[in-house]
Amino acid sequence: MSESGGSPEQMITDPAGVVIEDLYKSFGDVDVLKGIDMRVEPGQVVCLIGASGSGKSTLLRCVNRLEDPDAGRITVGAFDATDVDVNLDAMRRQIGMVFQQFNLFPHLSVLENCTITPRRVLKQSREQADAEALHQLELVGLKHLSDRRPAQLSGGQQQRVAIARALTMKPGLMLFDEPTSALDPETVGEVLAIMRDLARAGMTMIVVTHEMGFAREVADRVVFLDKGLVVEEGSAEQVIGAPTQPRTQDFLRRVLNPLGE
Amino acid sequence: MALSNRERARLSLGIQAAIFTGIVVVLIVIIDWAAVQRSFFNLEPVMAMFPEVITVGLWNTVRYTFFGFIFGLIGGTVLALMRIASFPIYRWLATLYIEFFRGIPAILVFIALGFGASLAFGLNLSTLQTASTALAIVGAAYIAETIRAGLQAVPKGQMEAARALGMPAWRAMVTIQIPQAFRIVLPPLTNEAILLTKDSSLIFVVGMAGSAAELTKMGRDGITMYQAGMTPLVVAGVCYLLITVPLSILARRMEERSPAQSSRKRKKKATASTDSSGVA
Repeated sequence: MSESGGSPEQMITDPAGVVIEDLYKSFGDVDVLKGIDMRVEPGQVVCLIGASGSGKSTLLRCVNRLEDPDAGRITVGAFDATDVDVNLDAMRRQIGMVFQQFNLFPHLSVLENCTITPRRVLKQSREQADAEALHQLELVGLKHLSDRRPAQLSGGQQQRVAIARALTMKPGLMLFDEPTSALDPETVGEVLAIMRDLARAGMTMIVVTHEMGFAREVADRVVFLDKGLVVEEGSAEQVIGAPTQPRTQDFLRRVLNPLGE
Repeated sequence: MALSNRERARLSLGIQAAIFTGIVVVLIVIIDWAAVQRSFFNLEPVMAMFPEVITVGLWNTVRYTFFGFIFGLIGGTVLALMRIASFPIYRWLATLYIEFFRGIPAILVFIALGFGASLAFGLNLSTLQTASTALAIVGAAYIAETIRAGLQAVPKGQMEAARALGMPAWRAMVTIQIPQAFRIVLPPLTNEAILLTKDSSLIFVVGMAGSAAELTKMGRDGITMYQAGMTPLVVAGVCYLLITVPLSILARRMEERSPAQSSRKRKKKATASTDSSGVA
């Protein structure tokens, strides 16, 4: 962890809240989301847990409209994400997203990954974009690798760059889609530590994760999804520590004790 | 006597070598080498082709092909984007174009442009315009499919990451997807340039002034001009090889270059192409 110099010194200027009302989404004949209601207050951290296929990634991708919901309403800060006239690009600039597979741009250096959008979209000068990107890379402990290519980095390092890249746009909300699921076990910790620092700095975060330890330590609320519905939600202590719904209990038993002993 | 695998392999190799040697010996004996030399390698009369075969013929071939390729690349990129567009009419139009021009002989396009354009529209195209337009029309159809495959070879997550950062679709396409696709399609595009180089010879059906002659025209005219049999054609052929062999070596180099070991080398090009060399 010596590499990650991330301290919660950065101030999140304007954390955005999220309101999801009665959200429906299907892919062909498969109903993935069947009426989801969820609120995330500004500065809150919500962890979405549930089995694969429960709809948690789809729910997350509806928030920044990588998926178009069939019905229902989502607001992110001042944006009505489900309005047909919403300026999607402007809205997405307020929403950082971190993917399971990192999705860094392989043809650009680490620094360019972080500066390409500020420069090309926000029309920042190179000096300004470089300075901000190097600051964010320093916070994730990777400033010294800024001229490398993504392919020359470990998975954990790539994911930290992806977080820095998202933060250079100064988002008010961060979405994490299983950010540690593709990582080697020994690099999971460095990514989770940065996410924890970000949460402590006051960022609004929605995190799809299987890391129950992280959820317990960082999440203000945990939401358990099953078959496209919110089955149980509450504090981490309630949902993970003392679940009341049989489906939640069953899921957690399998996650926490895979061999069923 | 039973043979081991290795002995059997050696025996088979020996038999093949013997057959090959036999064929070569027979050929050497039965071929009239003097006649071959007279009609194909009669170099003295054709020395008169130089330097025009290079300064005019090779130069024109390169010019026609170059402009044909550049406009074909532009047209092909547009067609490729239409092929993957969400608006179905774009897709149909692009598919129609590609299937049509890949399906007909290129020579038809040359004839249509060379004779038809002036008859139908009163256009008076120069040889350069005719040749490079015809090559661009045909080349675009092939190049479109190559580029489409390249665009689709870029992982979906790249576009998603760019859009999630707030890039408009066109910006994500220009900054993220096309540069990566371009790297994937460079070797097949080089092969396409080779094909177009050879197809530039089809302009001969239209006819042209001496100053606009390309290699094939010069080779054909040389047959009647120099009394050296097919030798002028051989000269023209060698000139084509001067263009196509280096291109093909280039394509093979690019194919062999694995992404991991060349990431350093590629960096210069990548930063140049995206105009963002701000590296600390």
